[in-house]
Amino acid sequence: MVDRYENMKHWLTSFRTGLCLTLMCVLPVSLAGSVYASDPPPEGAPASVSVRVYLSEGAVPIDDPQSSAWDSVAESEFNLSPQVHWPDRLQEATVKKVKVRGLHDGQNIAIRVEYQDPTQDDADAAALEFMVGDQKAHFAHGQEMLLVEGGPVNIWYWKNETGTATDMSAKGFKTIKPQAQQDVSAKGVWENGTWKVVFSRPLETGDEQDIQINPGIWTSVAFAFWDGKLVDGSVKEKGSQKAVSSWWSFRAEPEPDNSIFGYVVLGLLIAAAFEFFLVRKLRKGQAV
Amino acid sequence: MKGPLFSTAILLVGVYVFLAFLLPLVTAPLPASLIYLYLAITLSGAMIYQTMSAGGLEAFMGPIYRFLSGEIDGPAKSARLLLLIVFPLLVGWQTYTKLAPSDLPPAENRTIHPAPPGEFVGLANPYPANEQNIQEGKGIYAANCSPCHGPNFDGKGTAAPGFNPPPANFADPGTIAQLQESYLFWRIKKGGVGLPIEGMPWKSAMPRWEHELTDEKIWKVIIGEYDGAGQSPRTWEEEE
Repeated sequence: MVDRYENMKHWLTSFRTGLCLTLMCVLPVSLAGSVYASDPPPEGAPASVSVRVYLSEGAVPIDDPQSSAWDSVAESEFNLSPQVHWPDRLQEATVKKVKVRGLHDGQNIAIRVEYQDPTQDDADAAALEFMVGDQKAHFAHGQEMLLVEGGPVNIWYWKNETGTATDMSAKGFKTIKPQAQQDVSAKGVWENGTWKVVFSRPLETGDEQDIQINPGIWTSVAFAFWDGKLVDGSVKEKGSQKAVSSWWSFRAEPEPDNSIFGYVVLGLLIAAAFEFFLVRKLRKGQAV
Repeated sequence: MKGPLFSTAILLVGVYVFLAFLLPLVTAPLPASLIYLYLAITLSGAMIYQTMSAGGLEAFMGPIYRFLSGEIDGPAKSARLLLLIVFPLLVGWQTYTKLAPSDLPPAENRTIHPAPPGEFVGLANPYPANEQNIQEGKGIYAANCSPCHGPNFDGKGTAAPGFNPPPANFADPGTIAQLQESYLFWRIKKGGVGLPIEGMPWKSAMPRWEHELTDEKIWKVIIGEYDGAGQSPRTWEEEE
């Protein structure tokens, strides 16, 4: 009987010690795993996958494409394609890439697109597109999907000729129209073959046709650009003939969350307490 | 240096090398989480085996107890101190990396080749892959598909760079060589918007060609595509 009792005690002891050791071994290994998982993306992948709208401490440069505030934040860069998804298609578009920077101050958001266009023309134009609501929308004006119920898109459109922005909605081809409530402003500056256009708006507008931008929540953005140069008397790119991208990720940076450091300290304390009691028990001569 | 502790350490290293480096030579690499799970099981098994007897328990656990409680001399004493400092720091760092907000968008598990609707399963191409149909198909491809999928069938057309996901590379053995002709017929006819939800149709720039090409032209472009990419369609084996 005594032997059997000793054996059981023995097993329990091994099991508990094993648990402790496993904890101490697995933790550093899984740490190594998380470091490994943050390797850079493979070669040939696009330069950027998302637009990050930084939280600004000062005012957001909503009407100044050349403000030095833009230099303080990192840019994203996206390739563009001539629009070939639906007629009328375009074989080659003038604008090949766009650099994007974003700032917000918790109230207003400003997004600056910067792209090469050798000539300044009245019909030059730029647009940002967003999904509205919880349903996914196709990047081509929220066109109908056959097996998935899609949602509408919100398009912010700027044209050099008017110098202003139009806040628009679409759900399917030929459904695009300006909204009753206009919330978007835009200002463009052309210099040495480069357009810098700032779009701005309050983060939240109260208009259900608009994207409501909640800092910290990921959503999608797409881009379109038209070269309004006159070629043989007609505008080179207009309507569906434009440079486009499909969806990329988009997020306004949330307020920093300092509660994380509380949890870190708690983790440290728990680990230190675990060590303290383990060592104390061993020193008292009791098997763990 | 011998003993049950040492042999257990050797065993763990051996299992890790086998799972992480040798196994991928013959099959797909294991996810890291699975490797850690196997290591934890190996450690538990080795401990149960090594501590079956009272002598074994002392041989296995004794050095660990003495190390942790500080009944040691020389460099081991500094190693113990280091371990006691580093362990809580690792826990703190791990907590931080798990909770820190990421600047990377959430990963999207898009299914590249989702199952087609039933009406498109098992359709046979009604046109033979003869020279005339190959040339006709390549002509339709050049006019409609090559801007994105490229004149070399490699997905590197001039209109490809702005799209995410990128146009399929037909020369890659992982694309049309893995698919039946009926699958391509579905994907060309219904386009990106015809994908089920796991294919994320809202991201695809593939046109819905049924609005612009007849079924005959779609079947012929499939013939031209396979020939141009140097691939063969996947077929069911002939029944005996």
